[in-house]
Amino acid sequence: MFAIQPTSAEPIYRQIVEQLRRLIAGGQLVTGELLPSVRDVAGFHAINPMTVSRAYGMAESEGMLERLRGKGMAVAATTRSTATQAQRMALLEPQLQDLARHARELELPGDAVLRRLGRLLEE
Amino acid sequence: MNAVLRPITNHHAAPLQVRKLSHGYEDGTVLAGIDLSLQPGSVLGLIGRNGAGKSTLIRAMVGLLKPDSGEAFLFGEPALKISDSVKARLAYVPQQPEALAWLTAQQMFDYVGRFYPDWDASFAKTKLREWGILPNKVLGKLSPGERQRVDLIRALASQPSLLILDEPAAALDPVARRDLLREIALRAGEAGTTVLFSTHIVSDLERVASDIAFLHEGKLLLQCAVDESKERFARLWLPASMSAAAPTDALSRCRHADGSLSVVVERRADGAWPEAALLPGARVDALGLEDLFVEIAG
Repeated sequence: MFAIQPTSAEPIYRQIVEQLRRLIAGGQLVTGELLPSVRDVAGFHAINPMTVSRAYGMAESEGMLERLRGKGMAVAATTRSTATQAQRMALLEPQLQDLARHARELELPGDAVLRRLGRLLEE
Repeated sequence: MNAVLRPITNHHAAPLQVRKLSHGYEDGTVLAGIDLSLQPGSVLGLIGRNGAGKSTLIRAMVGLLKPDSGEAFLFGEPALKISDSVKARLAYVPQQPEALAWLTAQQMFDYVGRFYPDWDASFAKTKLREWGILPNKVLGKLSPGERQRVDLIRALASQPSLLILDEPAAALDPVARRDLLREIALRAGEAGTTVLFSTHIVSDLERVASDIAFLHEGKLLLQCAVDESKERFARLWLPASMSAAAPTDALSRCRHADGSLSVVVERRADGAWPEAALLPGARVDALGLEDLFVEIAG
């Protein structure tokens, strides 16, 4: 369920935590939904199980996940399934800043970038 | 998490420890005072350029080479004279295995399996099939890649407490390589197997390693957790006009044709980047391990 890019400058545990945050905020993961086990995630991606545990543990301490006895990790009941638009927008902020920086470095006019982005969003 | 399922005979001894190890060949020094200690359940990815001395270091670790000075210890015993009980818990796969060339893979497994208390014969049989090795072909007639695959299976089937692999990825196609990484990751995470592997394929290391060490010019650089390496180090780029302000203790520096300068910097104790990062025109780029490696070793 996660998209892992080992070569990214973002550590794998952080990639998992951020994806969980987005999936929960966007409502794709709903309260009570069980997550795949640490072993399944580690085995599927051939990554270190400790990395997955670390990510789940962080998500748990932030209140996104809760540990269900004998069942594993689930999306926490306290998490509202859909965050406000402003909260979801805030999650996109780093990518938007990256995009803006790249566009400036390439000396692209803003309206051309926005037109293209608009078309991508409609797809 | 790092639970060790089987008892450790030498209590509290690290699975692998290297102290002030130095070694040279006639054409120069290869290892210059290496210190290293592995905790149970950790997976150390050792990276370095070709000829950096990775194989020499590994051979000294497993007692196949007597270093000029310094020592290696396996479960607390000097690597040059380890007991049979430590031997049974250690598995080492060299880059070019040559032993027992007159046996078939199946005969070799039947033979060596007797020396390992936890030998997993069905795993060995399954993996031979999955990795495309004919069990009845004499080892001496296998290609070097097939030969190393057989030896990797031998090492894994012995269910070692300490697994040392010298460039294991070179012999494997992408599917088998992923399979090996999965074995390494799950065994370390679940059975507490301690693993050291050398590689120049950085993405393999990023997947499964808990820790990294760069072997460069005889020394180990950046010995730290993989996640930490990505968060603690970055490339600071300074325009030509500001390059005089570059931190003097940077890990590497590279002057570009236009006079600008890039250096690898480390976060300070308070988490902030060195002050030069705040200069006008300065830019801090997060680095993946491969970029970090190239910046420092390139």
